[in-house]
Amino acid sequence: MQDRLGDIEKEALKGIIASKTKEELEGLRVKYLGRKGILTGVLKGLGNLPKEERPKVGRLANEIKARIERALKERLSGLSEQKGPRVIKGFDPTLPGRSLRLGHLHPITKVMNDVCKIFEGLGFSVAQGPEIELDFYNFEALNIPPDHPARDMQDTFYVDEKVLLRTHTSPIQVRTMEKMAPPIRIIAPGKVYRCDSDVTHTPMFHQVEGLMVDKDVSFSHLKAILTYFAQEIFERDTKVRFRPSFFPFTEPSAEIDIQCVICKGEGCRVCSQTGWLEVLGAGLVHPQVFRHVNIDPQVYSGFAFGLGIERIAMLKYGINDIRLFYDNDFRFLSQF
Amino acid sequence: MLVPYSWLREIVPVEKDIEEVAEALTLTGLEVEGIESAFPWLDDAKVVRIGKIKWIDRGKNISLCILETGKEEVQVVCGAPNVKEGMLTAFCPPGTVMPDGKEVKEATLYGATSSGMLASQMELLLEGESSGVFDISSSFQDAKIGQSISELTGISDVVLEIGVTPNRPDCLSILGVARETSAIFSVPIAFKRPNAEGFKKETDFPIEIRDPELCGRYVGAIVKDVKVGPSPGWLQRRLVASGVRPINNIVDITNYVLLELGQPLHAFDLNTLKGPKIVVRTAREGEKVVTLDGKERSLHEGMLLICDEKRPVAVAGVMGGLETEVKEKTTDILIESALFTPFSIRRTAKALKLPTEASYRFERGVDPEGQKLAAIRACELVLELSGGSFLGIKDENPVPYRPSKVSFSPKRVNTLLGTDISSKRMSEILKALQFEMIEVSEDKATTIPPSFRQDVKNEEDILEEVARCYGFSKIPTSSPSATLIVERPFSQKAFFDEIKNILLGQGLTEIISYSFMSPRELSNLGLREGDERLKPVRLKNPLAEDQSLMRTNLIAPMLSTISRNQRRRNLDLSLFEIGAVFISRGEGVLPKETTRCAIAITGSRFPLSWAWPNEKVDFFDLKGIIQNLFRMLNCRSLLFEMSKRPETYFEEGTQLDFKLNGKTIGNLGLISKKVLNAFDIEDKVYLSDIDMEKVFGTLDRSIEFKPLDKFPSIERDLAVILDDSIRAQECLDFIEKNSPALLTNFFIFDVYRGKQVPKGKKSVAFRFIYRAKDHTLSEEEVQRVHEPLSRAILDEFKGELRS
Repeated sequence: MQDRLGDIEKEALKGIIASKTKEELEGLRVKYLGRKGILTGVLKGLGNLPKEERPKVGRLANEIKARIERALKERLSGLSEQKGPRVIKGFDPTLPGRSLRLGHLHPITKVMNDVCKIFEGLGFSVAQGPEIELDFYNFEALNIPPDHPARDMQDTFYVDEKVLLRTHTSPIQVRTMEKMAPPIRIIAPGKVYRCDSDVTHTPMFHQVEGLMVDKDVSFSHLKAILTYFAQEIFERDTKVRFRPSFFPFTEPSAEIDIQCVICKGEGCRVCSQTGWLEVLGAGLVHPQVFRHVNIDPQVYSGFAFGLGIERIAMLKYGINDIRLFYDNDFRFLSQF
Repeated sequence: MLVPYSWLREIVPVEKDIEEVAEALTLTGLEVEGIESAFPWLDDAKVVRIGKIKWIDRGKNISLCILETGKEEVQVVCGAPNVKEGMLTAFCPPGTVMPDGKEVKEATLYGATSSGMLASQMELLLEGESSGVFDISSSFQDAKIGQSISELTGISDVVLEIGVTPNRPDCLSILGVARETSAIFSVPIAFKRPNAEGFKKETDFPIEIRDPELCGRYVGAIVKDVKVGPSPGWLQRRLVASGVRPINNIVDITNYVLLELGQPLHAFDLNTLKGPKIVVRTAREGEKVVTLDGKERSLHEGMLLICDEKRPVAVAGVMGGLETEVKEKTTDILIESALFTPFSIRRTAKALKLPTEASYRFERGVDPEGQKLAAIRACELVLELSGGSFLGIKDENPVPYRPSKVSFSPKRVNTLLGTDISSKRMSEILKALQFEMIEVSEDKATTIPPSFRQDVKNEEDILEEVARCYGFSKIPTSSPSATLIVERPFSQKAFFDEIKNILLGQGLTEIISYSFMSPRELSNLGLREGDERLKPVRLKNPLAEDQSLMRTNLIAPMLSTISRNQRRRNLDLSLFEIGAVFISRGEGVLPKETTRCAIAITGSRFPLSWAWPNEKVDFFDLKGIIQNLFRMLNCRSLLFEMSKRPETYFEEGTQLDFKLNGKTIGNLGLISKKVLNAFDIEDKVYLSDIDMEKVFGTLDRSIEFKPLDKFPSIERDLAVILDDSIRAQECLDFIEKNSPALLTNFFIFDVYRGKQVPKGKKSVAFRFIYRAKDHTLSEEEVQRVHEPLSRAILDEFKGELRS
């Protein structure tokens, strides 16, 4: 009896798989599971079996019935899929959608916003200052007196003796500290200018300046905040390196390198084979800067940092010529 | 600063890989920006055999040599008398950069192609002097064809390219970099100081310093009977590897000592000095001196000069004079080793536009104790390399160096660094840097920095020394716990970001153009006389004339951007820019700096597609953008009006101004043909210019909720044939003024000219929406107010009902 059931199942499943139409499938259902079907017949005849065999055979027959039903169902859905969808005359949904022209934010704005958001999340507020600045704010108040060789670090556009195009966003530090008392946490994005122009320099570019002033702010804090920033703006596992440098308005000063995002530290053209890319300048605010704005350096300390947006954008998007940013070719802009 | 590695190791014999040294220097503040071959020409020059010689001109020794290079055969034209067939010699292929900086190039000489050159030992700086091409066969038995000359001679070295920051002039010398290396790797300095005993003899040579505040010390040393000639190869190679051009042994020695010790020196031909005497004084306006480079320099009052009894003989700390320079015939020399005040040298070098190795170091500050050592070191080398006898030394030192103490609190250092460095460790770090420790406790320590560290004056300077030598990487990272700050600095960024996003949503793309503007761009706009935008800020030192002004408006940069794009066949453009513009307020004061927004559209309205008609943008696309912008800012009070004082760059009659709370904040219009031509733009451009400061200042952004209508409305349409000269706004204003209470909304939904409408007329269709607050309106009620309104409109505008 059990062998016979096995044969019925094999035969039924074979038929179901081979079936080509819904009608054929329905025929098979009737043949096996219909009121007069083969399997139905077996179940009906259970009573004729010896008492001890009945539950075993019954269970088996029911299992087979379930399997055949499932196979029928699967095949049925398979058959319906095979059939093409309904076609509505004159309606072709595969035509492209009616999409209006899209606008694009300039990549510099995008990266600038990314940078600001990270710091705003840490409780820094956006501050701003004029692009045409007084020598005082751009240099003197930042501990760069006239005749200081550090002035050579930045090629300055002058308007006249006292007025210049700001060479960095750092004057906003001074302007903010003149107006606000500590604790201070600001982030200051903006355009800056230096007389320099080649594949890696444009006479105008963008920086973001950051400043945190409070009691007992330390270099260790600076490391934590800027490591977090670098890993947020690039990747979470980006390696960060702090290396001593010099800025007249911070001491100690540091330059912050990230492991090259192109070669992952192996050394390539972008990182001049060093495996590192300089992305940030930073340091503890120089006491002389605090004295200029009447903040007592014995009570307060702070750190400041600055970064170039173009550089970050070039690394993030793989842009190889900085001049593309200000050429404003629509083919460039529409990629962002 | 270029540091030949072998030179560095001579002074500090560190046994480390160059990469390891470079990284250690970088991580303590001397950034190694590159490691290059010191003598690249010796790498490029190869051993070759002269296969065949064809004489071009036997008398002048001009030959055409066929060379076996180990690869292909090469021919060169040569002017050396000593070429022989079968001889091994040195060949510099095209592309080789020779020590004098010149690149070997393929050339046609005497009618023959010469693919490179054969070089002498002198040309290769293997020897100070030599004649004819390098005869390798006679001096090297095991030379192989194709081998580089550096491999053949074993002469090769690498140069560390170090970026020295302005605060570390002490590292502008091999000795300085060696001191850092010594501190990092705890390898003692092995610099062999010259035997001071031998150079003790004093002379009574007169040196008069008239401005001791500009020249604190002047050491003069005299050597007689020198023989001026070329320096030996090793010295010339070191100079070239350090970026200095060899001249003759005396000048080379002064440069060598400058590189080695960081103290600039100058050698005078003693017999050309009148007196002989040295006077250090400031210049009188207009005084003249011809400097070593052969140029006559006109001096300004206050510039420091070195003079003899009669005339200036050098611009102090910048460059020596031509008349007193050391020449081939010179026999007696005076070596100057002086201390000049940084700001004075910097001003002079800047004013004369004459930056030199000497001025670079003086303006940053040299070791105030280094003058005598450098003079003696130079004398030692002169005696060694050019012979002669040391006559004596004079040390005029009106302002002797006094070391100053610096106190610091190790505790405060730790607080500011976030570290826990013991005062003992701090003291070790400073001692390794040659600081003298006077007292050390956790609360207070006192030290005397070495004389060459003039940059260390205060506690923060000590802090930096400790931090960089301890290692930035060892300073722990810890998050600050910070106070919440509720006071915010002034910023418009968030507002401008919002506007950018609204414009973005309307399909506009942001541009960022240079803040510079060319005089031509400004004149292209044809602004009226008296327009404040004709008062630009002018740069004193622009990169180019077309970037010589700061922009006074965003219109010109926008049109330039469109022009550039159209030339590249980007024809359909919807662009905006938000940025600062600048109006000059005169010298010495900041200009008026305001933020504006320019929006411009041109080309097709929709991207080319099956789904849209292919139409061009027009005025109303732009007006719609402006309306949407202010609607999205929840501003309901925006008013448009025909401009009373139209801009010159708009086509006449196309300009609308818009107002917020009675203040004009911007305008829009069609750019005139003339201006388009000036900017070389082919297609029509509609442009809007908005004063963002005014928008920011006057915008009322409150939202007031109005309850939803409870009762249905009834609509009535009215189509009127009007004279074409009647403007929509007039009609709408009239309806507004005569609006019955039940009228809740009205607008124009169709304007038609053409068939069925007489010429000079138009059909305007209005829709009126009537609604009562408290009940459902009946047709009769509406009719009672709509009819008189319709009639009034017809009467007012002499219109006819369109049937």
